Amino acid sequence: MRRPPVQALRGLDLEVPRGQVFGLLGPNGAGKTTLVKILLAIAWPTRGGAQVLGRRPGDVRAKERIGYLPENHRYPPHLTGEQVLHYFGMLSGVRQPERSRRVEALLRRVRMAEWRATRVHKYSKGMLQRLGMAQALLNEPELLILDEPTDGVDPIGRREIRDVLLEQRGRGVTIFLNSHLLSEVERICDRVAILKEGRLVRQGGVEDLTRPSSVYQVEARGLPADALARLAAAFPGLRAAGGRLELAGDLSSLNRLIDALRRDGAEIAAILPRKESLEDVFVQVVGEGETP
Amino acid sequence: MRVAAIVADACRELLYRKTLWVYFGIVTLVLLFFALALRTDVADGLIASLSVMGLEGEGSAGSFRLGGGAEGGMGGLTAARFVRGVQLGAAFFLYPLGILLSVFATASLVPRMLERGTIDLLLSKPVTRPTLFASRYLGGLLAAGAGLIYLVSGLGAILGLKTGVWNGGFLLSGLVMALYFGCLLCFMALVGVLFRSTTITTMITALVFFVSLLARWPHENRDWPLLITSRVWRFAAQGLVEGLYHLFPRTYEFGQMAASLIMDEGAIAWGPILGSLFSGAAALAAAVLYFARKDF
Repeated sequence: MRRPPVQALRGLDLEVPRGQVFGLLGPNGAGKTTLVKILLAIAWPTRGGAQVLGRRPGDVRAKERIGYLPENHRYPPHLTGEQVLHYFGMLSGVRQPERSRRVEALLRRVRMAEWRATRVHKYSKGMLQRLGMAQALLNEPELLILDEPTDGVDPIGRREIRDVLLEQRGRGVTIFLNSHLLSEVERICDRVAILKEGRLVRQGGVEDLTRPSSVYQVEARGLPADALARLAAAFPGLRAAGGRLELAGDLSSLNRLIDALRRDGAEIAAILPRKESLEDVFVQVVGEGETP
Repeated sequence: MRVAAIVADACRELLYRKTLWVYFGIVTLVLLFFALALRTDVADGLIASLSVMGLEGEGSAGSFRLGGGAEGGMGGLTAARFVRGVQLGAAFFLYPLGILLSVFATASLVPRMLERGTIDLLLSKPVTRPTLFASRYLGGLLAAGAGLIYLVSGLGAILGLKTGVWNGGFLLSGLVMALYFGCLLCFMALVGVLFRSTTITTMITALVFFVSLLARWPHENRDWPLLITSRVWRFAAQGLVEGLYHLFPRTYEFGQMAASLIMDEGAIAWGPILGSLFSGAAALAAAVLYFARKDF
């Protein structure tokens, strides 16, 4: 019995310029991991092609310049953290004494130096992720491909991994990040692409996708109880949301609202233009069914 | 450097799982037994006296037994004959045990490599798939073969020091059995990459072992097909037997060859050995080819 074939990616056309931090988003089964696997020649496309660092996927010379952290990675359980780094360093072609120097520096950088002599089967998920980051950086890659790098990592560990990624960005490394943690992606990435059912449904700069909309949040104190209904009648785009007033309208509407609030004796504590988060964009595109 | 890293890691992985340590432990006990318990006195190539753990040996030109008393004498037993007899006895028990434990130890070598999270990481490194696969095979062969080499070199050296007989045939027989295991490992690699299961790999390897033994009898006795009256069925049965015999490593012939080398008897039949090497190489090539094209 054969399982029916699954079309993981369809008509995908994507380019990631050098030096950018690129986030690949999508719900489970969208084809994100398949795309990463195709880029690394772990899986083959039935049609179409790809180029990584100017070479075909699987080219050994290209792979020498790539660092990869897969999702749910497993390291040989019989090795210690330090041995894992030496093993993958050798596989990546990093020679001694440079390999020892890098292993030492990276163990310190990901704060795993004190666990270096412990076998990896005793590591927690977070420790494995830190070691995984060190492993991916060992060959000082030009392209870093990370599949859920903060999966299972506590908030402090996440911050540390984020700092490492920002350092790499500073070095000019191209980062291809595949993550479910949209807040992380929003903080790190320059550009994102959203996949749904194997198709590319949205791509663009993070700033463009999350640009402020013409919705303002006003935090007013001391507003009389009957004032809200009156204001709602005067301003059709006004609604109360989470203890704040939210006005959909232009700047003159906002100023008129402020005047009205002051007339009613309210004290204005804050006015914020509402910015759409990447999560809002993601939910809109994926959850509410933007057609692929 | 990359090949060395993969080979070394495969060896470390096998040694970590302790199955091979059991074999090393048993062989070490055997070596210690012969090193500490065996006393021999050799004169002009003949065993003058012999004792094992204080029990005096009594012998004749073709055999010996323990507990006969010193007055029984060794009856003209040559040191060479004695050494070869001991080595044949050790080989009879420890070669099959070595092969069996090596099969258990190495059955997981390929399935483990293909586990999700492991294979992704390995394939992302600048190593070609055939190199990765072949290096892992080599690591398994070296780790398993080390046990056999430890046995033949250790026992050969101990008996050589005690009797002055250095039987190169014993060392060669160990290499021949390592070669046999190498052929078997090729089939294990093929089954491992096709099914990705340690259990199935072990089971099919056991099947290969027994079928290769069983297929030899009808292969050697050519008149049995005459019992089948239908011409079609006769050819089909003959084809099946010959196919199985030539497809798998020739277990019986390897054993016979090892015994002949130890006892320095008769000419070596290279045909079945080369045939086994060829079928093993074909199985390994098929495994590498499949691995090189497989999506993970």
